Amino acid sequence: MIVEASSPTIRQHGSSRVMVPGMEHLLRPARHFLSDGSFSVQYPVGYTVFSPRLTLPLSRVMNSQACAFRLSTFHLYFLKSLSEDIRNTVGNVPMEWYQDYPHIGYDLEGKKIFKPIRNKDELDEFLDKMENPDYWRTVHDKMTSTDIRLTDEQISLVHRLQSGQFGDVNFNEYEPYIDFFSGETMIHPVTNRPQDKRSFIPSLIEKEKVSKMVHAIKMGWIKPRKPKESDLQFYDLWAKEDPNAILGRHKMHVPAPKMKLPGHEESYNPPPEYLLTEEERLAWEQQDPEDRKLSFLPQKFSCLRSVPAYSRFIHERFERCLDLYLCPRQRKMRVNVDPEDLIPKLPKPRDLQPFPTIQSLIYRGHSSLVRCISLSPSGQWLASGSDDCTVRLWEVSTGRCMKTVEVGGAVRSIVWNPNPAICLVAVLVLLNPYLADKLVYNATDQLIASYVEPEEERPQPVQWQVPEIEDSDKGFRLIITHPKSVKQVTWHSKGDYLASVLSDNSNMQVLIHQVSKRRSQNPFRKNKGLVQCVSFHPIRPYFFVASQRCVRVYNLIKQELMKKLMANCKWISSMAIHPGGDNVICGSYDSRLSWFDLDLSTKPYKVLRHHKKALRGVAFHKNYPLFASGSDDGSVIVCHGMVYNDLLQNPLIVPVKVLKGHTLTHNLGVLDVAFHPTQPWVFSSGADATIRLFT
Amino acid sequence: MSQLQVRFFTENAKYKVDDVPFSIPAASQVQDLSNIINKLLEAKHSKICHSNVEFDFLVRGNFLRTSLVNHMEAEGISTEEVVEIEYVQRFMAPQPEECIMHDDWISSVDTESEWILTGSYDKTARIWTQEGKAVMTVAGHTDVVKDVAWVKRDGVTSLLLTSSMDQTAILWEWNVERNKLKARHCCRGHAGSVDSIAVSPNQTKFCSGSWDKMLKIWSAVPTDKEDELEEQRDRPRKKQKTEQMGLTRTPIMTLSGHIEAVSSVLWSDNEEVCSASWDHTIRLWDVETGNMKSTLTGSKVFNCISYSPLCRRLASGSTDRHVRLWDPRSKDGSLVLLSLTSHTGWVTAVRWSPSNEQQLISGSLDCVVKLWDTRSCKAPLYDMAAHEDKVLCVDWREDGLLLSGGADNKLYTYRYSASTSAA
Repeated sequence: MIVEASSPTIRQHGSSRVMVPGMEHLLRPARHFLSDGSFSVQYPVGYTVFSPRLTLPLSRVMNSQACAFRLSTFHLYFLKSLSEDIRNTVGNVPMEWYQDYPHIGYDLEGKKIFKPIRNKDELDEFLDKMENPDYWRTVHDKMTSTDIRLTDEQISLVHRLQSGQFGDVNFNEYEPYIDFFSGETMIHPVTNRPQDKRSFIPSLIEKEKVSKMVHAIKMGWIKPRKPKESDLQFYDLWAKEDPNAILGRHKMHVPAPKMKLPGHEESYNPPPEYLLTEEERLAWEQQDPEDRKLSFLPQKFSCLRSVPAYSRFIHERFERCLDLYLCPRQRKMRVNVDPEDLIPKLPKPRDLQPFPTIQSLIYRGHSSLVRCISLSPSGQWLASGSDDCTVRLWEVSTGRCMKTVEVGGAVRSIVWNPNPAICLVAVLVLLNPYLADKLVYNATDQLIASYVEPEEERPQPVQWQVPEIEDSDKGFRLIITHPKSVKQVTWHSKGDYLASVLSDNSNMQVLIHQVSKRRSQNPFRKNKGLVQCVSFHPIRPYFFVASQRCVRVYNLIKQELMKKLMANCKWISSMAIHPGGDNVICGSYDSRLSWFDLDLSTKPYKVLRHHKKALRGVAFHKNYPLFASGSDDGSVIVCHGMVYNDLLQNPLIVPVKVLKGHTLTHNLGVLDVAFHPTQPWVFSSGADATIRLFT
Repeated sequence: MSQLQVRFFTENAKYKVDDVPFSIPAASQVQDLSNIINKLLEAKHSKICHSNVEFDFLVRGNFLRTSLVNHMEAEGISTEEVVEIEYVQRFMAPQPEECIMHDDWISSVDTESEWILTGSYDKTARIWTQEGKAVMTVAGHTDVVKDVAWVKRDGVTSLLLTSSMDQTAILWEWNVERNKLKARHCCRGHAGSVDSIAVSPNQTKFCSGSWDKMLKIWSAVPTDKEDELEEQRDRPRKKQKTEQMGLTRTPIMTLSGHIEAVSSVLWSDNEEVCSASWDHTIRLWDVETGNMKSTLTGSKVFNCISYSPLCRRLASGSTDRHVRLWDPRSKDGSLVLLSLTSHTGWVTAVRWSPSNEQQLISGSLDCVVKLWDTRSCKAPLYDMAAHEDKVLCVDWREDGLLLSGGADNKLYTYRYSASTSAA
């Protein structure tokens, strides 16, 4: 049977789905056997099959196993049914059913189709495969148990189908498409039929229906549909997020930085002041591209038409993209603080009185810079040592120089014995490094005279001498000769011991002397850096040694290092211990003053940088909460430094006054500061050979 | 130019004018007002019997120093009412008389009716005549003489006191006729420099204040008996002999209570001693019982005090630029009645006028001696700027001789006619 078709396309009504021949097996056709033995293939509803004319003689039945290609049963059936009258009519039943029979089915006339007498065995199959050149195009038809040799046309058809082409060679799948129902609006109606009456007369039935519904609504039979309750529960991912949080989702949006708007420079016809002169242009060219203020040279064109393409356009776009990509999208929280709030709440200086405010007296008499000053414990006398190799004693209240003592060298350090019962001044001399004790009261003389020679002489690092008579009349009482020049002396608060610092690089930098026994000892075996100054703790047996960068605190009884205070400065120049003993201030040559709270930390509690130049001297007041620092800038800064008994309360440090008066000489200003023992007065000695009293 | 309604009055009957209000320019200065008064007096008396007199004017008890309107603005006086202006004859400026050169700084000065006694840093005291002639040198101290005082004059002999940094005060007897000086008593007992001495008004006792924080009361009557001094026993015998000037005298009483050095003492009457100290207090002591009566607390170290029996006020000079007036009778009050402010340095010496209850002089480290009237506390009446260095001591004699000594080794004397005061 031949199915004829006029058009090769398969159309679906209402859609443009196209089915091509050869693809039919994708659909499930239903076969209907007709009464004449032929059958028709019915595709699912909506498809009309247009099949190309195929005439394939199915002469041979081939073994499907050996076939070089496989065709579906349907295809074979299709091919076979179209070609010959040797036809099995058993239908699509498994051929195994006929395994035990001699026939294989029935032909069109109802006669049995017999199986071949001899079945091919494996050997035959193999021989056939080896010998028959047409083996590859032979297919086995199970229905008739015959081998069919495919013709060349069939082979080519199979090839085409395999490669996804149309079966018909002549079929052009890209033919122009004629659309019956185009989108265009036609000017003529498709039909000439007049409109129905019902199209313009309201429908009575509908009216009745509507009135019924209206009545039902009025009677309350019909109720409006309840709004559909959306029971969908969504989980709000951001519900628990704090909207005010710094990292809030929406707050994190950082808009891209805006590009600068073009200015006059970018104009094609800029005002002449924007055009670079020759030197400017040269300078521009010399500059590093990153340093240039403008990334281009402003140019002038007669008209916009003559402006050439911008050569750096791509480059700049790229740069911009880079900027956007690389720009740090970090949110910097703007701190909206009143600058006033940042200033610590300190009491006003005038609430912290008394403190020295004004220069009151000038002690004149020295002829060279006054390196050191010291007050007598009673506050009546002031001792000063100067580079003019003299020690002078002044009456504090009038500024009168009461006594001048010639010593053999520049006086680097002078300390009044803190014990009020002993009137001694420890003076130290640079060039002839010896130590002179100077006496005013006879009681002190007796004290020194009461010294009894020890029975066995001990080796001493220094020489103790009782001065000659003429020196004794000048005031010298004891001379301690050091091997090197002495930088500093300091008394213990009991007044018997004194420590001296030698300008020496060996381990003998610090010596401690006992006046009553005339003994000296070197407390340190090792040299731990250049010692700047030393000091005794006012109450406890501690000893402070300031080297260049740190202050070491030793316990003299246990003979061990207790603390090491790191001063955070380059070179300590001076040190003072609070009379309570728990606080230390250090002045340094890099113009810092560090306040240490020994109970708090080994780092400075506060660093004050009030001075402009190196600090030379610092001092604490004995009774008043005051400390002062003198500097090379010629000023003395007095600070209120309140130390509370409450351990939880940190010291209160308030700078209260800058005292100026000294003139700068040889770039040196104030060399030493000292407080009056009882009054809130500060003395400063300067390089201008004066001592000044500020009250 | 605005006008002011003023009414002039005076207590001096000689210069009285009619008690009627005048309208005068508000910007009038002292000189203008003085001219007005003179014109009025001329009109009242005949031109012949009135000579031109300089007047000073007081508005509500304060001297006029600026223009009238400025003064009233500063004092807060309404310009609507009639202003009562008192006028007095202007004090004549002190006339410098002598400049007495010393060898060293002058630490103290005391005058008597005829002689001037000065203490100096060269360890001596000197007696001068009023004309500046050195009469006597009082040498004996081993250290700076800090204070001097006349005790009394008894015919041809005078008693005088010197105190020194060598911790002693010495009572001298000076025979004026023979010009012989004899140390009668060496007053030992202080353990610090004796900075101040004061003789009681009845001239039998004197008080000394020292750096050892003590006040000691001594007898000022010379005797021939030597007091025992216990702590002198262990001293070397030899030294004691060499240093001894006169017979040793021990104090009658020791007043302790000051916690710092005593800088100045004085007797306010025969039974009361007043002392000023570095501990910022002025203390009043009862000499009979030795008790402290009251304390006046200041804020600065006191350098000097002076008491005027006329106005019964204390004047104090401190280590600041103010002269402060106190009422010693106020109980434990630290009330400053008035501050006289014009100095630029520490006030080292003050002295009330012995005759005028409103005037005092002060010396300061700013090298100026100022004459004050308490009715004008912002500006002094006169500045005496003769000194070239610190002024350390001033004195005012009853007949109007002002003296000031200082660190320029010079003692200046001025003649001041306070008698012209209308009051």
